[in-house]
Amino acid sequence: MNVFYLMVSAALFALGAYGVLARRSAILVFMSVELMLNAANLALIVFAKAWGSLFAQGAAVLLIALAAAEVAVGLALVVAIYRTRETTLVDDLSELKG
Amino acid sequence: MNLVHLFLGALLLVTGFLAVRLKNAVHAALALAANFILMGVVYMLLEARFLGWIQIIVYAGAIMVLFVFVIMLLYAKEAEPGVDPLPGLRPAAAGIAALGFLALLYAFSGFKAPITEEAAQAALSGGSAEVMGPVLWQTWLYAVLLVAALLLVATVAAVAILRPGEGGKR
Repeated sequence: MNVFYLMVSAALFALGAYGVLARRSAILVFMSVELMLNAANLALIVFAKAWGSLFAQGAAVLLIALAAAEVAVGLALVVAIYRTRETTLVDDLSELKG
Repeated sequence: MNLVHLFLGALLLVTGFLAVRLKNAVHAALALAANFILMGVVYMLLEARFLGWIQIIVYAGAIMVLFVFVIMLLYAKEAEPGVDPLPGLRPAAAGIAALGFLALLYAFSGFKAPITEEAAQAALSGGSAEVMGPVLWQTWLYAVLLVAALLLVATVAAVAILRPGEGGKR
């Protein structure tokens, strides 16, 4: 069972990586990042069960709180970019190219 | 290893796939919310009940609603508008993701739990709030306080970034 959920976690991480690379809207790229973060959290919980460690579960709680902070700032940035550029497509946000 | 776990794993993969493939952004966000709820259920089955509820409340409840709000706010209903400037990107992205998946599978393939299932269950005692409390509020009190401060700073930053007047409309 442990290895099965580790494989599910790996597959979800890969799906998230695909989303980050293939999606074109900044919000959806961000959602794919959340999927990857959750896959990592799932692996952490599986390891917590394998080692019987409550501290790993505590780390996962802190990770979820960190993800909430990240989402707050990230979505604020997306909205701020939309206000100034009228777009959230990552292909259009190319002003930093060299 | 029984049917429940197989079913949950398959549902996790299907909703995850839908979340990165659906054309409509709202549908993708709702698929991701379903994925997070299922993840909470899996946490509860993996002896992490408190964390399962936290996952459902924070991720499926708060974070995904925030995502749906922002999608509605920005009229970003269509996930893939207009012409694709990089036509070969999708197969390349799928290839890179598949490579990452294989690497992770290789890393996980030889995994064996260091203690027995019964010993782990006894040590975790379901991961309920009762046993998580001492971990979070005694051992890791300062970490919890730091994360709380970080959340406050992030909230203030989110409000400050979106404050009208400065750096807003150009």
